[in-house]
Amino acid sequence: MVLQRTPKAALASMFFITVLHGGEKVDFAREVLPILSDKCFACHGPDTRKAKDLRLDSYEAATRNRKGIRSIDPDNLEDSELIFRIHDEDDPMPPEDDGKPLTEAEKDILTRWVKQGGEYASHWAFVPPIKRSDAPKNEVIDFYIEKGLKAHKPPVSFAEEASRDVLARRAALVLTGLPPEPALLEEFLADKSEKAYEQFVDRLLSSPGYGEHQARYWLDAIRYGDTHGLHLDNKRGIYPYRDWVVRAFNENLPIDDFVTWQLAGDLLPNPTITQKIATGYVRMNPTTSEGGAIPAEFQAKNNFDRTETLGTVMLGMTMSCARCHTHKYDPITHREYFSLLAFFNSTAESPLDGNKYDHGPAMKAPANPKEWEALASLDGHEEEAMESFTTTTLIARELPKPRVTRVLQRGEYHSPIGEALQPDVPAVMGSFPEDAPRNRLGLAQWLTADKHPLVTRVLVNRMWQRIFGYGLVRTPEDFGLQGEQATHPELLDWLAVEFREKGWDLKHILRLMVTSQTFKQSSRFRPDLEDPKNRLYARGPSFRLDAEVIRDIGLWSSGLLDPTMGGEGVKPYQPAGLWKALMHPASNTKDYVRDKGDRLYRRSLYVYWKRTSPHPMMTLFDAPNRESSCVKRSRTSTALQSLALLNETQRIEMARKLAERLVKSSPDDKARLDLLYKLLACRQALPREGKACLALLDTMNSRYAAAPEEAKALLTTGDSPANPDLNPVELAAWTQVIATVLASDIALSLF
Amino acid sequence: MNSAREFDLNMTRRQLFGRSALGLGTATMAQLLGADLLAQTPGNPEGLHHPAKAKRVIYLFMSGGPSQHDMWDYKPKMKEMFGKDLPEHIRDGQRITGMTAGQKNLPVCPSKYEFKKYDNNDQGVWVSELLPHTAKVAKELCVIKSTFTEAINHDPAVTYIQTGSQIPGRPSFGSWLSYGLGRMNDDLPGYVVMHAKTNFGEQSLFSRLWGPGFLPSEHQGVLLRSQGDPVLYLNNPKGVSRTDRRAQLDTLAALNESQHDRFGDPEILARIKQHEMAYRMQTSVPELMDLSNEKESTFKLYGEEARKAGTFAACCLNARRLAERGVRNIQIFHRGWDAHNNLPREHESQCKDIDQACAALITDLKERGMLEDTLVVWGGEFGRTAYCQGKLTEKNYGRDHHPRCFTTWMAGGGVKPGITYGRSDDYGYNIADADGNPIFPQPTKDHWTPGSVHIHDLNATILHLLGIDHRKLTYRYQGRDFRLTDIHGHVIKDLLA
Repeated sequence: MVLQRTPKAALASMFFITVLHGGEKVDFAREVLPILSDKCFACHGPDTRKAKDLRLDSYEAATRNRKGIRSIDPDNLEDSELIFRIHDEDDPMPPEDDGKPLTEAEKDILTRWVKQGGEYASHWAFVPPIKRSDAPKNEVIDFYIEKGLKAHKPPVSFAEEASRDVLARRAALVLTGLPPEPALLEEFLADKSEKAYEQFVDRLLSSPGYGEHQARYWLDAIRYGDTHGLHLDNKRGIYPYRDWVVRAFNENLPIDDFVTWQLAGDLLPNPTITQKIATGYVRMNPTTSEGGAIPAEFQAKNNFDRTETLGTVMLGMTMSCARCHTHKYDPITHREYFSLLAFFNSTAESPLDGNKYDHGPAMKAPANPKEWEALASLDGHEEEAMESFTTTTLIARELPKPRVTRVLQRGEYHSPIGEALQPDVPAVMGSFPEDAPRNRLGLAQWLTADKHPLVTRVLVNRMWQRIFGYGLVRTPEDFGLQGEQATHPELLDWLAVEFREKGWDLKHILRLMVTSQTFKQSSRFRPDLEDPKNRLYARGPSFRLDAEVIRDIGLWSSGLLDPTMGGEGVKPYQPAGLWKALMHPASNTKDYVRDKGDRLYRRSLYVYWKRTSPHPMMTLFDAPNRESSCVKRSRTSTALQSLALLNETQRIEMARKLAERLVKSSPDDKARLDLLYKLLACRQALPREGKACLALLDTMNSRYAAAPEEAKALLTTGDSPANPDLNPVELAAWTQVIATVLASDIALSLF
Repeated sequence: MNSAREFDLNMTRRQLFGRSALGLGTATMAQLLGADLLAQTPGNPEGLHHPAKAKRVIYLFMSGGPSQHDMWDYKPKMKEMFGKDLPEHIRDGQRITGMTAGQKNLPVCPSKYEFKKYDNNDQGVWVSELLPHTAKVAKELCVIKSTFTEAINHDPAVTYIQTGSQIPGRPSFGSWLSYGLGRMNDDLPGYVVMHAKTNFGEQSLFSRLWGPGFLPSEHQGVLLRSQGDPVLYLNNPKGVSRTDRRAQLDTLAALNESQHDRFGDPEILARIKQHEMAYRMQTSVPELMDLSNEKESTFKLYGEEARKAGTFAACCLNARRLAERGVRNIQIFHRGWDAHNNLPREHESQCKDIDQACAALITDLKERGMLEDTLVVWGGEFGRTAYCQGKLTEKNYGRDHHPRCFTTWMAGGGVKPGITYGRSDDYGYNIADADGNPIFPQPTKDHWTPGSVHIHDLNATILHLLGIDHRKLTYRYQGRDFRLTDIHGHVIKDLLA
């Protein structure tokens, strides 16, 4: 038996290899580069100032003869200075006071690497993704996830599939941000055919709520707000951009176009009105017009913001370090930062916003779905359509003569140095396409070029994060040397290429994800695994839902939700005086004038976003303030959330309207409870849940029967009137039960 | 609960951060262990990196830029220069905001207020007649006359001093403390922010000033409000009693336990705990806000204004009550210091708002034996110019923003009491050496100019007093270990007791 190895022989051969090659072959990109980046590059990295100083970011530099000493000595690897210095007890590298000593394991990796030749390779994220030849034709996601499960010690297999009701709820929540409509759910549960789930998913993908839900993530990333953000934080005319994003997702606009229109819609030949509205992206940075502000200072700051946001959103790269000096970790030079910034430096708007709503360039734009339809019917170009539009939106326009861009020393706007820079891209991320114009359009062409190493990876990673709760790269904001490596690199690359090859089709990728076995698994924590963050994906996704989804579920289940799409931001209930306590008397957002009627009940995507003081029901549940880019929200549990869930006006209003719905649906409490659970959990109440809820109902019934005026008081919370035909005691009791269930995990979490 | 998690939760904060120094980044550890850990770990009064001198901090932030000239930085020689142009060598290229850039000249504007020298523990300290009460606690104050910043407009400057960066996006000072120190009290939030009333609200505040930036959002400051619910959504809705709420929470716990049994996610259990804390807050916060047990002497000390909710005096009294209850991180924002045109009228009102209460807070803490481990910080985002903005008369004048030199004070919690630190030139314009010659400090990571206190130095020093090494309190975001002090800041040892 040739393949059967005896333990003795195995040991002997391992020993042999160790002696010959300095141990197991080290993977430079995966094992060595992260150590060099984190522990060495701060002093010996790309930003090292003097030519004679040691650099360790390339083979050439590391093997250079510096007064007879070589950090890596190709002629005598064992005697390389690097090995000596990291083991030097008297004067170790990194220095002790640096606070970042090497661990023994890290020393071992570096030593083995040098002994094996000290060769360098590119950081994985700067090498364009490819589909590996081992990828099967179908079920590629499951293939790679299962590969990881099998490689685990001991090997494990997929968890059992979640029940169909759980799956229906899960798919609906990740795709549309709402549970499935009862009719759709019934249809799916009744359909036992093989294609039932796929058809269910397709229905979700084609519902208007899909675009609304997906848009939210993009609006976080590009820091959408309805106000300028700084100083007076006045209103800004920009919501048509938000509505365009929703429409683009619903129409499944290819994402390369989605990106191009936003960066450079105005520079396309004969641009449509829609393409120009999309350039609101370029105008999304917070702006000021504080008395005394110096225009040149804010010209620079606005551009920093745009450049760094582009870095986060499209490149998964932290650019901000390179604003002041060459990047310490990633190979981005100070000059390259400003060359990239030069793409944004020639837009026509004044750097100070004048505190104006329509801080130009701005144009008339559709204010509501009807006006959008009018635009669509006119093929997008017609100027006459524009005349009838009733709102304004900020857009990008290029100056006839570009502004000169120079490197700013230490990132200070008043210290330009060196020659005028041509707009250009960081060399490490691939070259600028030949023939492409040196403007935002060329930048978009570079970003969406076939060979770009980062953009598709960064985008599919965030799609994965939306569906599974965590990205394949757990640091979606950083694909650089300091970021985490993908848990499943081959899968990330396959998805990135698949995305591009299929025409940048977002729905296609999401469909692949939600129809995978990986997604369909039960999300129960496995007793056989220590994997709290689900890095193996050996169970289905589970996480606390976002602020908007939590609110929308309540509105939807109670029947209050107004499905109207788009338009000016809405202002639901908010405690009095929150804005006034912060704002300058001259600000036009100092008074929060809350809406009345249907506008109280719109999806949370449309809640007015004042950047210096967003709605507390959003920020208490981890929404960012949208002053800067956010591609990963935190998920916290706090006491303030508990208070908000149980006491906020709209929460009580939802509970009592849902109470009316239940009470009207059946005279039987058990049936009512089942409807409640059907809406929130896509199933009937479990016996344990039923017992707890009905006991509370009993308590509340007797309590309100004894104090009917208290019941009536509870039923006046919120604007919508209580149904006078229903018994207030019963309604109040149910309101309390529902408020409780709406605050429980069943209504807060994906599972 | 799985064993790894149990182990995590059993680790003390010190072990946590101590271990991190041996290889894993602080941030990485905090993130690995899950966001709830830090909130659940009782605050460590011993300090994070070294023994803390201050267990808590009360930060009195004067938004708008209080005038050092009219309160603290006595410059008698300016009287001789009344109305004459500020000498070029004094201005020395300092950039000027758009508001005075167009003025034909920059007339020297001495303060109209009388100054008196008060004994402290050193050479004495000059204080203007605008602050008669504060002057009386001079022996407790460490008055820094050489604070400086680079920002010259409010939004960037206040964002800078409170987050370490002029551009929004970083965690606030208070959020860093919350992240680093956790909480000492299980019934109240660990980080409380109050907004005091003013007659001159011509400033904006921004939630980013107490916001978490990229830290987990549980580290955002909790607003203690004078209008409506003192903490957002604290009170039950009409028709819901405390007994009702108890019944609801018991049911909620049963429902969540059922969910936990089915899915095993430990986060579900964490939420049950937070519901219970919320329930306790519903009694602890009203108890906190109820001043009926305060003695008459309290109101004598703080002034009758302390009875009116939302005044600066009431906020200071709340601050003492919060401090007594183990809240370690308290900030009061007082707006209205941006006196461009009618400085005397505005500053007289502003000083009246704060003077007695500041002195009362220090006296009160001292009497209760709490001043020694409570750090009180007073200051704004920048100072005001030596030259007049608008029309200069003997009676009225205005001053523009001035970043290059301004006054801040601290008291208690391990700072040297009764000293002044740093000095300015004869115009209160530049930081100066002992002979009064401008020194134009240019701090770098490795270099600090004695006598100067950059806002990063101030923040580094405050953190030091709280037991935190400002270089070690980091959070990794976008591949970089961020700090409150960015890559700057020096602990000013001369200020430490």
